[in-house]
Amino acid sequence: MAEPEVTVRKAGKDNVDVVLENMDLSLVNSMRRVFLSEIPTVAIDLVEVEANTSVLADEFLSHRLGLIPLDSSLANELEYTRDCDCEIYCDKCSVVLTLNAVCNTDSTLDVYSSDINVAVPARSDDSIGRPIQSSTDERGILIARLRKNQELRVKCIAKKGIAKEHAKWSPCSGIAFEYDPWNKLKHTDLWYEVDADKEWPKSKNCDYEEPPNLHDKFDYNAVPRKFYMNVETTGQLKPDVVFERGIHVLETKLAEIALALSKAEEETDW
Amino acid sequence: MNAPDRFELFLLPDGVEKVTVSPDQRMPNAAFIKFEREDHTLGNMLVKQLQQDPRVLYAAYKVEHPLFANFVMRVQTEDGYTPRDALKNACQTLIVQLKIISRKFKEGYSVMSMLE
Repeated sequence: MAEPEVTVRKAGKDNVDVVLENMDLSLVNSMRRVFLSEIPTVAIDLVEVEANTSVLADEFLSHRLGLIPLDSSLANELEYTRDCDCEIYCDKCSVVLTLNAVCNTDSTLDVYSSDINVAVPARSDDSIGRPIQSSTDERGILIARLRKNQELRVKCIAKKGIAKEHAKWSPCSGIAFEYDPWNKLKHTDLWYEVDADKEWPKSKNCDYEEPPNLHDKFDYNAVPRKFYMNVETTGQLKPDVVFERGIHVLETKLAEIALALSKAEEETDW
Repeated sequence: MNAPDRFELFLLPDGVEKVTVSPDQRMPNAAFIKFEREDHTLGNMLVKQLQQDPRVLYAAYKVEHPLFANFVMRVQTEDGYTPRDALKNACQTLIVQLKIISRKFKEGYSVMSMLE
């Protein structure tokens, strides 16, 4: 098989569009699966509610807080709490965030994710755990709305984790994945009323491949070789970082297996 | 409730081997390999790579039960080649491919982000 080829079609702020060639479907699918669920990021995992007089229940609020994307570019510097020496959490394995809001006016007060502060930015770079700010909306995500005299006083502990444990740790909001846009391989059976060609819209990826020739015989030996992938992130990690770290996670997985096999070989004569 | 903890999907408990190789008693050069705390991400990728190997006669895997985070792979090879070596080679080949993909992606991305 020829060497794998990678073409980056678009490098956006929170998405990257790539075309991958000369590799197996299974490999690209594994990459997709790892990007979605096995890249470590940081998310709020513990919430200590000191005061909550809003209309939202504590657990409801905690759930909302957990889903807020936090900057995870330095997530690799953080330990997993389960590997850490501390009992519940410490500086090595967590980032403490605080949210304090009181409404003193007659109008409602909106509490946004930009109101969350990193309590102790003790680390070399204080970007870790900071709620993501998109350029279009400076205030961030709406967490709660407070009426007069309602108060929120919350301490949040953000921890490192992967999306296999909870989807809040997923750095990807979605991955578009396509191969064989002309359906030459007949992996898809398109439903139709009269004519499938007319009723189904063509994918934009069709421009990158030769249309099928009507008189060609079906090639039953053909395998997919060109894959179109668009990785969209939640902002926790930059899309190129998702790509690189995802591949690294896969490499580590394979290396771990190779190592375990060598180890098992030494122990048995088989 | 009695739902299993989510981290049981990927955290290898103490005393559990990551991979266990046991020979197939019925024929030579064949083995069942059990992978603990892994899923289709690894299984499918490895099996497809093994099937590319001309000296591998048979390679397939199954996830025996959806609630248990493990899968069993059966590999049969030609004489003078062991399933274990076949697996190691498959791992190596995949790592090399991933390294190439990673390198080419970095190159392509830096060019593309300069343009935009």
